[in-house]
Amino acid sequence: MNSNKSNKFTLISILLVIIAFILFLLSTFLDQYLFQYTMISKVITFTGLILLIISWAIYFMGLKQIKPQTTENVITVIACKNCDYREERPFMEGDYVFKEIGKCKKCSGTSYIYAIYLVPVKK
Amino acid sequence: MMINQLFPSGNDISSILMNLIWLFLFFSILLFFNQKIQIWVYQRNAEKATMKLQFLAEKGKEEALKSIKNFAPENIDIKSQVTSFLDFFTIEPVDKDPFGVLNRLEHILDNRRDRIKLFISQIAPKAGKVEAANVEDIMEAAIALNFIFKIVRHYLLLGKKTKSLMIFIQLDMQLPLIMKIAEAYFKALKTFSSGKPIGDGLGPLVASRLMFGYPKQVIAEDIVCSEVNIENRKVYVIKAEGPGGVVGKPGEAVKRLVELHGGKIARIFMIDAASKLEGETTGEVVEGVGAAIGDPGPEKYKIEEVATKYKIPLDAIICKMDIEEALTTMKKEIAEAADLIVNKIKKAIIERTKEGDIVIVAGIGNTIGIGQ
Ligand SMILES: [Zn+2]
Repeated sequence: MNSNKSNKFTLISILLVIIAFILFLLSTFLDQYLFQYTMISKVITFTGLILLIISWAIYFMGLKQIKPQTTENVITVIACKNCDYREERPFMEGDYVFKEIGKCKKCSGTSYIYAIYLVPVKK
Repeated sequence: MMINQLFPSGNDISSILMNLIWLFLFFSILLFFNQKIQIWVYQRNAEKATMKLQFLAEKGKEEALKSIKNFAPENIDIKSQVTSFLDFFTIEPVDKDPFGVLNRLEHILDNRRDRIKLFISQIAPKAGKVEAANVEDIMEAAIALNFIFKIVRHYLLLGKKTKSLMIFIQLDMQLPLIMKIAEAYFKALKTFSSGKPIGDGLGPLVASRLMFGYPKQVIAEDIVCSEVNIENRKVYVIKAEGPGGVVGKPGEAVKRLVELHGGKIARIFMIDAASKLEGETTGEVVEGVGAAIGDPGPEKYKIEEVATKYKIPLDAIICKMDIEEALTTMKKEIAEAADLIVNKIKKAIIERTKEGDIVIVAGIGNTIGIGQ
């Protein structure tokens, strides 16, 4: 989801650059062939420049927003030695695979940690 | 001079001259400064990477300090001690005379481990066996990060000093891979400090699934063994002793087991995590032959030697993952692959050995977060 966001920012900034470029072309065209519109062509050039600066700013804002997500979704799976009871809960400090953790909730067998793994973070 | 004389558009002599001067300027910039410009671009890349590596190394150190602080006595200055220990180095044995080089390498690696253990016992005396092993792994990762940063900085400064494009190009070409490794080590630090199992723990996980419910005993340095009965075959399952972050000496353990039975071992199975090629999927399980172990040499050598001596077939089962997945919290795909491998091994033992045979199954890897 991070890359999606940054893609959006890049797209917007590219679009702005293209618009600015078209504005520059337009102003050159006005200067070359229609001499009476010098004032308008200047305004158009100026607008183009501003658009360029904005696109640049947006691009960098997009870069700043992509910060690595450090939150991990780690799951501890608990199983029982006697029955087929399974339970999942978030990882807690001190957990390790095959650690015995008290009584089973279904029967009275010993329950232990069957697995600890990382699952992809959901949106 | 007027400003529009610099950008001439007419046909008179002065504007042609001006055009020529511009042309000459461009050419001279391209011809004489082209290498300077290239150096500048490469140098900027290298500088950025070095800054990031420095950041990772500093953060790594902080993380190491944070995890040591809990076990350290109040009166010692851990910061300065850890900082100086980060430069700890190991000199590889001479290989111009290759005779016995692996024995010498093993000796030096033992030395290294002992020194790190000693350092940790001094700096974190309150840590138990498991915590000490995890702190050891954290220190190893911090040392690796520090080393990578220093090497890259060395080449950056060397390139700046000599103004050599070659140095910059070589550095720049290797940077993407170097950064990948550095980031993997950095993420590994965090995983180690919380004691979660890592991808490399696949081998020990499979082994502990097999030895579940059987008595265990220590048979070599940091290695536990269980005698398991699978369809009337006597199966010795070995793994590193968890849940602390150790790898142990599986080669030594296999050698001892084989010698103990006078070489009457029908088959040796080895399970390990292996680095995948780009495009392969994580958690893919592949079978092959040979000693599946990624140590610097000594342990692999022992297994190959003893297997060759007694003509014991060596089967390897590996699970694919990349370096970052191997060093960070075990992914679900890998945990599921472990269950798959357990079934594969049971099937392979039934298919490839007879009843009454003795088989060794070795789960290779770092057993952090995985008990038995
Ligand atoms: Zn139960």
